[in-house]
Amino acid sequence: MRPEGRLKSIAYFFAPLLALLVLWQATITVFDVNPRVFPGISAVWHAAVTSIADGTLIQHIGASLTRVAVGTVIGIAISVPLGMAMGVLPAVATFLTPLMRFFSVLAGIAWIPIATLWFGYGFGAITFVIFNAVFFVVAYNAMLGVSTIPMRLRYAAASLGAGPWRTLTEVLLPGALPNIVTGIRTGLGFAWRGLIAAEMIATNVGLGYMLFMARDFYRTEVIVMGMIVIGLLWLLLDRLLLAPLERATVERWGMVERT
Amino acid sequence: MRSLTIRDLSKTYFDAYAGSHVDAVRGVSLEVTQGEFVSLVGPSGCGKTTILNMIAGFIPCSGGEIRLDGRAIHGPGPDRGVVFQSFALFPWKTVLDNVGFGPKMRGVPKAERDRTAREYLELVGLAHAADRYPNELSGGMQQRVGVARALANNPEVLLMDEPFASVDAQTRMTLQEELTRIWQERRPTIIFITHDVSEAVFLANRVIVLSKGQILDEVDIALPRPRVWDKLHEDAAFKSLSGKVLQLVRSA
Amino acid sequence: MTLLLKAWGYYARVSKRWPVIETLVPFLPLIAIWWTVAELQIFPPAFFPGPAEVAQSFWTLLYKGILTAYLYDSVVRLAVGAAAGIALGIPLAILIGLNWRAHLALWPILLFFQAIGDIAWLPILLIWFGFGLTTMTFVIVYTVLFPVVLNTVLGVRSVPIELQRAAASLGASRWRILTEVILPGAMPNIITGLRNGLGYGWRALIAAEIIVGTSGIGFMMFDARRAGSVVEIVVGMIVLGVLWYIVDNWILAPLERATGERWGLVTK
Repeated sequence: MRPEGRLKSIAYFFAPLLALLVLWQATITVFDVNPRVFPGISAVWHAAVTSIADGTLIQHIGASLTRVAVGTVIGIAISVPLGMAMGVLPAVATFLTPLMRFFSVLAGIAWIPIATLWFGYGFGAITFVIFNAVFFVVAYNAMLGVSTIPMRLRYAAASLGAGPWRTLTEVLLPGALPNIVTGIRTGLGFAWRGLIAAEMIATNVGLGYMLFMARDFYRTEVIVMGMIVIGLLWLLLDRLLLAPLERATVERWGMVERT
Repeated sequence: MRSLTIRDLSKTYFDAYAGSHVDAVRGVSLEVTQGEFVSLVGPSGCGKTTILNMIAGFIPCSGGEIRLDGRAIHGPGPDRGVVFQSFALFPWKTVLDNVGFGPKMRGVPKAERDRTAREYLELVGLAHAADRYPNELSGGMQQRVGVARALANNPEVLLMDEPFASVDAQTRMTLQEELTRIWQERRPTIIFITHDVSEAVFLANRVIVLSKGQILDEVDIALPRPRVWDKLHEDAAFKSLSGKVLQLVRSA
Repeated sequence: MTLLLKAWGYYARVSKRWPVIETLVPFLPLIAIWWTVAELQIFPPAFFPGPAEVAQSFWTLLYKGILTAYLYDSVVRLAVGAAAGIALGIPLAILIGLNWRAHLALWPILLFFQAIGDIAWLPILLIWFGFGLTTMTFVIVYTVLFPVVLNTVLGVRSVPIELQRAAASLGASRWRILTEVILPGAMPNIITGLRNGLGYGWRALIAAEIIVGTSGIGFMMFDARRAGSVVEIVVGMIVLGVLWYIVDNWILAPLERATGERWGLVTK
């Protein structure tokens, strides 16, 4: 894209958001909204500056992102090999499909009560919720990915001299990758929501906790600031990491996404 | 003299849904010498693809044996290159990496296998498309890559399973002419499966007609090479050979 | 070997005729493993109950009428939320999909609000509406709305212009083009959006019931957690899983297939 074109599209993207900000402040000023119902922009800005200055915001963000990172990495590390192994024999994959679907629709938030019972309130329970949101969805997708690779591609590799290990690295893994990436994107979506919910219930640090505590004191400016931070973090994660990854595999290779 | 020997080959399927056994191939014997171009022709369901899959080692045979150069074959291997009807190119690899796949499996260093791959892409007239992905190519171009990929691995036999069935008519004729040219240049042993009688006659030195899992008859094709459609279309010998094979296929 | 093949063939035949068998049989070995692990007491029973206790508890909760009442509450909330989400979402999506000015103005805002996510709204909703039905309904409508809108916009914009021109040249008015061409053309995407939206909405409902909780399956599970009753938590999870499996597998997925695959449309 030409530089001016790019600049223009960025401007078009941010103009409506700016308009929204103006509308927000105008509504607050004109109707003289009680700050306990909804804060003005300056109050939110002030809340952001203070919480950055005293380090609490960074602390909450750090706690939340650490949980996401740990849960996701463990989840992917276990689910990808397991899911792929389940998909190698088509008959086995067909047999296991209902089980995997059952557990992937249950993944995430529904595990919060039992997770807090198993691990107590805190890091363990929340990380477990994220882990299992990622685990079941990615394992299911990895299985689906491997089992839907056309048999002729495996035949082609074998007739060109590929052994089992080479077939795994050259055919099964890249062939299942689009599904795995899609699974990670979906699973992280569930995990992110599970994180916020779990942090409201089961901890004393993290973005969800920050929001829920602010509610106790009617600090709407902290709540709104937290919501914006949550939105921005997810946008960054999704647009800068997950979506490009999905595009690079699914679209470039011309592989149709299989659900 | 290397050769492919098939003796008394048979294949029985167990059909899980029907709950019964099906005889797909019954007592097929065949000898293919090095550098020969053999076509297997027959209506769908005659067992021709099953035979090819057994030679390739994709499916085990129920009876008889297949020997290549004296050795019995076990499973798929790089000594038998396969060109698939639906191309079977790896969508996540560029054209160059698809063609270089076989050498990569043999541990050939990157620079050398790229050189080999380019040489074979040149042979099929696709040198300019080396860095593209398969889904960016037309069907005819994809199958050229499929042929280059199989040849680049230097197989003793090239097995082709209705490779030109899913491209349009004009492209198919071009591909057929190119294949006869490549065969003349390099003299690979080719077993070519098709249901198209004129394709079988146009390409091969010998046409084998299959019916209901058995060999019905075979016809030697002593037409001169190079073969091009413009000449053969009106050629009396080609017409009479095609007519003969067609009669056999229709009597099947 | 032949015997095994025959058995597999028989299973394949039977499950082809009654797909419910294909769905249920894989759970049998899982339940057997679960039973064995629970019997061997590898984990303390207070943390890891066996299938027998869970079935017992399921029966008790059902018998007392608690389970049915809570299940009813949850399902009604989800249904109301979904209906409202669709009623709001589809007209909004048609506006955005057909009008480039609306698209320019609203698309970034939609993306941003989608990113904030339903559950992050809970604290401020609690301040506005208190612990009640309004809060929960808002969260579910919010959750269902975005996937429906985003997918419907994609669907509307992917209806080929030739089809609209064909309808126009056959005498269709703008309204008729909308109802006869654009909406059916976007239908596969609308269903996909609904399926995604309900998937997220259902999770949001559980979270809202846990946090806001006065009734519902989510509330039941968290109440059981406070009482330390792991059995009732597991009952809740199974009920949720089965319920959602039925909705997704036997209603939404067939609906998606019926439109997308039947018509040979690509839903991307």
